[in-house]
Amino acid sequence: MGRLVLRRLGATIPVLLLVTAGVFSLLHLTPGDPIDAMMAESVDATVKETLRRQLGLDQPIPVQYAAWMKRLLHGDLGRSIRNGEPVLESVGRRIRPSLELTALAMTISLVIAFPVGILSAYRHNGPVDRVGTSFALFGICMPNFLLALLLIFVFGVTLRWLPISGYLDPLEEGWSGLRSLVLPAVTLGLALAAVVTRTLRSSMLEALTEDYVRTARAKGLSEWAVLRGHVLRNALIPVVTVLGLQLGTLIGGAVITEYVFALPGVGRLVVDAVFARDYPLVQGVVLLIALGFIASNLLVDLLYGLIDPRLRRG
Amino acid sequence: MADRRWNTLRRAARARLAPFGAVVLLGALVIAVAAPLVSPHDPLKQNLGNALAKPSRVHLLGTDNVGRDVLSRVMWGTRVSLVAGFVSVALALLTGGLLGLAAGYTGGRVDGVLMRLMDAVLSFPALVLALALGAVLGAGLTGVLIALAVVYTPTFARLMRGQVLSITAREYVDAARALGASGWRVAWHHVLPNATAPMVVQGSLSVAFAILAEASLSFLGLGIQPPAASWGSMINAGRGYLQQAPWIVFGPGTALFVTVIGLNFVGDAVRDALDPRA
Repeated sequence: MGRLVLRRLGATIPVLLLVTAGVFSLLHLTPGDPIDAMMAESVDATVKETLRRQLGLDQPIPVQYAAWMKRLLHGDLGRSIRNGEPVLESVGRRIRPSLELTALAMTISLVIAFPVGILSAYRHNGPVDRVGTSFALFGICMPNFLLALLLIFVFGVTLRWLPISGYLDPLEEGWSGLRSLVLPAVTLGLALAAVVTRTLRSSMLEALTEDYVRTARAKGLSEWAVLRGHVLRNALIPVVTVLGLQLGTLIGGAVITEYVFALPGVGRLVVDAVFARDYPLVQGVVLLIALGFIASNLLVDLLYGLIDPRLRRG
Repeated sequence: MADRRWNTLRRAARARLAPFGAVVLLGALVIAVAAPLVSPHDPLKQNLGNALAKPSRVHLLGTDNVGRDVLSRVMWGTRVSLVAGFVSVALALLTGGLLGLAAGYTGGRVDGVLMRLMDAVLSFPALVLALALGAVLGAGLTGVLIALAVVYTPTFARLMRGQVLSITAREYVDAARALGASGWRVAWHHVLPNATAPMVVQGSLSVAFAILAEASLSFLGLGIQPPAASWGSMINAGRGYLQQAPWIVFGPGTALFVTVIGLNFVGDAVRDALDPRA
C-alpha cells in the first residue's frame, strides 16, 4: 500500500508542474494586452502602469514565471485586483457552502443510486429496472441548469415549498439552512445518481452471472449474504471508478448550481471573477480547484487499494 | 450468459431509438440551415407592446421579455448549438488525433511530454477550464469553440495513441515496413485508416456533450453575445420570468434536451455499427 501511494504521488509531480505553467500562461493568452483586457479604456494610464508593475507584467515572461512560482511555493496565490483580498482568503470564506453542497449532493445520489441500481440488477427487466433505466438516460441528458430551473419552477415558484435562492449555513441555522440547500443539492445529485445507478446496475448484472455467486448460493448462503458479500463487493470497483471520473463533472455542476441558486460558494467566485475580468483571482481559484481535483483523484486511486486487495501489490 | 442476452436486448432497444435520434439530428440540421426561411418571425425584432405573450397561434412558443418570438429565436439558436457541437469536436478530433499519432508513433520523450500535457489538461474540471479559457479568450463563439476544443483534445489524443500502439504491433505493419515503406507512409496508409473507427465513435458521442457544454457556457454569459440567440443565453435571460412566462426558459430548454437525447441515440447507433464489441 505504501509503495502504491508513493508511486502515485511521484506520477503527479510532472502533471502539477504543467498545471501551474498552464495557469500562469492563462494571463498571457488574452488577445492583446492583459491590463487593457482587465481594465476599462477610461482608466487612467498611471493606474494601469501601477497594476502592470504590481503584477510584474513589465518583466520578461521567464522572470515573471519564476517570481510567480516562488510566491506559489510560499503559499501566496496572488490577490484580487478588484478588492485586493488574497485568493486564499476569498476561497476560505466560500469553501463551506461548496463543500456542504457537494457532500449533500453526493449523499442524495448514493441514497438514490444504491437501492435503484441494486434492485434494477436483481429484478432485471422488472418495473424498477425499467423506470431506473429511463431515469438514468434522463439524468445524463438533462443539463443541470435546466434541471435547476425546472425544480425552481415546480417546487419554488408553483408549489412554494422551498426557497429558490440564497444560502443559510445548515451548521449554524439548522433546519432552514438545510432547506436552502435542498434544491441545489438535488439538482447536483440527480445527474450523479443517474450515472452511478447505471454503472452499479451493469456491474451487478455482470457479477451476478459469476461462478463464485453460484458457488455461494450452492453452499447455502442466504440471498442477502450472497448479495452483500459476493455480488456488491465485486460490483463496487466500477462504481468507485465512475465516482472518480464524475468528480470533474460534479465540480463543474457545482459552479453552475451555485450560480443559479445564488450560493456564495467557490464556483460562484469563479464566475464572478470571470465577469469582473479579475484574472489574478481567476488564476488563483482555478489553480486551487485543479489542486483539489488532483488530490481527490489520488484519493480515489488509493480507495481501489482498500476495496481490492490485489491492487495493493504491484 | 444473461449479460449477453441483455446486450442483445439493449441493442434492439437502441435500434428502435436510433431512427428517433436520426430524425432529431436531421430536423435540427434542416432548421439550422434554413433558419432564415423557416422561422416565422425576425428573431431580433422587439415588440415591447407584446412582451411576455402566452403561446398563441401567432407566437407558437410565446414571446420573451422584450416581445421577441421565442420559437424563431430557438430556431436560430439551433445554428449556434450545432456549430458549437460539431466544430469544437472536429477541432478536438483533429488536434487530438495528430498529437496522439505523434505520441504513439514517435514514442520516447515526445510521447512522455505530450501525454503529461494531456494529463495536465485533464487535471482541470472540464467546465472550469472552459470557463477560464473562454474568459481570457474573450466572449464570443470563437473563444468558446477553442475552449471546448482544448477541453476535449486529451480524450482523442489518448484514444489515438492507444490505437497507434496496438496497430503498430500488428503483422501487417511489420510487413509494410519489411517491404520498405517509409515511416510516414506506414503512418498514413496503414495506421491512420485502422485507427479512425474508434475516433469516429468517440467523436459522435462527444458532440452531445459539447452542445451541453456550449449551452452551459452561454448560460453563464460566455459564448455568443446578445441580442443574437443561443439556447443557453435564452434560458439564462428567461430565468427572471419563470413565474410569468416559463416558456422563455422551457422553449429553448426542450430544444436542448431533445437535441442532446437524439444525438446520444445517434452516437450509440454509430458505436454499434462501427464497434461490434461494445
